[in-house]
Amino acid sequence: MTNVTSTVVRLKLSLLRNGLRQSGGRRTAYIASAVVVLLFAALQLLGLLALRGHEHAVSLVVLLVAVLGLGWAVMPLFFPSGDETLDPTRLVMLPLRPRPLVRALLTASLVGIGPLFTLLLLVGSAIAVAHGAAALVTGIVGVVLALLLCVALARAVAAANIRLLTSRKGRDLAVLSGLVIAVGAQVVNFGAQRLGSSGLGELDPAATVLRWVPPASAIGMADSVSEGSYGIAAAQLAISVAALVLLVVVWERSLTRLMTAPDGSTLQAAESRDRGTSTGLSRLLPAGRTGTVMERSLRYIWRDPKTKAAWVTSLAIGLIVPVFNALQGTGSLYFACFAAGMLGIQMYNQFGQDTSAFWMVAMTISSARDAYAELRARALALLVITLPYAALVVVVTTALLGDWAKLPEVLGLSLALLGAMLATGAWTSARFPYSIPQEGHKNVAPGQAGLAWIAILGGMISGALLCAPVIALTIWLNVAAGGDAYTWLLLPVGAAYGTAITLLGLRLAAPHTANHLPEILTAVSKG
Amino acid sequence: MTSVRVRGLWKRFGQQVAVAGIDLDLPSGKFIGLVGPNGAGKTTTLSMVTGLLRPDQGSVEVVGHDVWRDPVEVKARIGVLPEGLRLFERLSGRELLAYSGRLRGLPGAEVDKRATQLLDVLDLAGAQHKLVVDYSTGMRKKIGLAAALLHNPEVLFLDEPFEGVDPVSAQTIRGVLERYTASGATVVFSSHVMELVESLCDWVAVMAAGRIRAHGTLDEVRGDHPTLQRAFLDLVGATGRDTATDLDWLGGGR
Repeated sequence: MTNVTSTVVRLKLSLLRNGLRQSGGRRTAYIASAVVVLLFAALQLLGLLALRGHEHAVSLVVLLVAVLGLGWAVMPLFFPSGDETLDPTRLVMLPLRPRPLVRALLTASLVGIGPLFTLLLLVGSAIAVAHGAAALVTGIVGVVLALLLCVALARAVAAANIRLLTSRKGRDLAVLSGLVIAVGAQVVNFGAQRLGSSGLGELDPAATVLRWVPPASAIGMADSVSEGSYGIAAAQLAISVAALVLLVVVWERSLTRLMTAPDGSTLQAAESRDRGTSTGLSRLLPAGRTGTVMERSLRYIWRDPKTKAAWVTSLAIGLIVPVFNALQGTGSLYFACFAAGMLGIQMYNQFGQDTSAFWMVAMTISSARDAYAELRARALALLVITLPYAALVVVVTTALLGDWAKLPEVLGLSLALLGAMLATGAWTSARFPYSIPQEGHKNVAPGQAGLAWIAILGGMISGALLCAPVIALTIWLNVAAGGDAYTWLLLPVGAAYGTAITLLGLRLAAPHTANHLPEILTAVSKG
Repeated sequence: MTSVRVRGLWKRFGQQVAVAGIDLDLPSGKFIGLVGPNGAGKTTTLSMVTGLLRPDQGSVEVVGHDVWRDPVEVKARIGVLPEGLRLFERLSGRELLAYSGRLRGLPGAEVDKRATQLLDVLDLAGAQHKLVVDYSTGMRKKIGLAAALLHNPEVLFLDEPFEGVDPVSAQTIRGVLERYTASGATVVFSSHVMELVESLCDWVAVMAAGRIRAHGTLDEVRGDHPTLQRAFLDLVGATGRDTATDLDWLGGGR
């Protein structure tokens, strides 16, 4: 029975090979990503080697290993289907004892690009901080420990959440994964730029904590040995080993439970919690169609993974672009209008966001007035979030740049832009609806990509054009002699213009919506 | 009295003719079955009758009002449970009913009262706070039916209401529909399960290849045939197919 390990490792290799044999595209993608990952790892390795002897090397290394560990912990949550041997429920029918199985699965997890990448980085980290023979030996132990910690962490997290990951909630979570990576990349990018300008010393405070946190502690101990602090090194070793043992025990526990307990996810709950019928939200909203539609729109922002992903992207980018530009000292306050623009995009393709459930809306719209109420309520739901958020971004950016005199005009411009986006959004929602597939990462159904591009790009350009009067006024007041004294006027003017143009957009969109309900339903029901 | 009046209804999808000229008068206060094999055009017809799909030609009147010219009168009087379209699945069952009822302009308190009763009768009270996306097929049909009944429509259109529904849920749905028609309302539903149609309906229209092959009371359509199934197979021209000569190797042991 000791052959369980080799069997599972061979299973993993076969799965990998068969997966690649399936299609040429997949093979190319795999090889390309392997090459890129390895090149990247090699570059990192070289960088880490160059760092050897640097005064703050250990801070960077410890942080790097901690981030690596974090990556391993969240990876299975976002890519649950990445590894079939990762799913222990597939092995449920086999007569296996938990302990050999844990050993086998742990070994099998060490096969692949991810572990190889991690290994290269860990080796580089250890070399960067280890000085002297004793430290090198500790470093080797540290690398092995850290790698096992990473892999065990991923396995333990996956096993503990496997029911979640194979359920609807898990698939919802996966939709958000791309987003976390995109926003994370922005933050890392910004952090790297800061480090480049002010030096690695900035990391020291973080590193003093992180060097005690596994898996960073395993590499931290090589540094401790180099410094001659053997006591600290021993403590770090103890923490790392204890963490590994703990992870394996937790993993084994959840594995045993998974393989012996039945899957209860399809069972019906006998009795559900009793909740009040009206939430706090609905009491604050106006009565009638307006409040009803607003409530559903706001609920969907939180509950529908696609809508949520779109919103979080808009909110994050709308904040990141102006604020980071301001932080780098290169930004202009006018960048703050970006937030209004990004959030206004959410008004686009309103009915596509409903999917084919739009029929429920269509059944209740029988006149242009109904359609107007529907669209206005959706715009209001958007404004509940957008209005304070856009104002917040403008204020934060102003505070960072210290240019309070320009606050009214930028806020006015933002409001005008938001109004223009809502107006064009409502109009394109009625004219160019398209489907948003609910599964996977695609946001446009096949054959409708052109339509989506026309709607969004055309809408944004016309949105910018619609703002032209307010922009022209801003330029004129800034250029004209003595105009500066009146720039505060742009705030009321922008607000009034934004409101007027939104109402106009809704008025124009409503009759078309009411007259083309079946056509819109057909357009949003694909996929 | 007629509840639904269809004249010269046509619909093409590219080369394919889905509905090829339907004329139909559905009596009111009856339990009406629209039967036909898969692809006969039942869903297309019901979509056009309820205003969810625009016909190429023809007119539809529901309780005396034209569906396309007078949607205000029609939409308030009909309830629909379509097939193959989603609900707002990220709402819980109760929230879906609250949304649907208020969207139709009913007062909030009345909506909540009706929703509670419908959830009870349809045996969904235990799952009322669960998101519809986590409902089973039978539960989805039931919550869809509840949403269609909430505003007490005069005519109810149900597309395959029993498809994929377990026997217990089917019996519940049946009970609710029978009580509803007993009060004088009209139910129009499509199905390809003849036994079901035979046991539920007073009035039947048989559809095949986009046309109405027969319509009338159950007895009229059944004629001399012992069951509706036989009559139906005869009408759609499927009885002539003899399976005896083919597949003669199949069965009977070695």
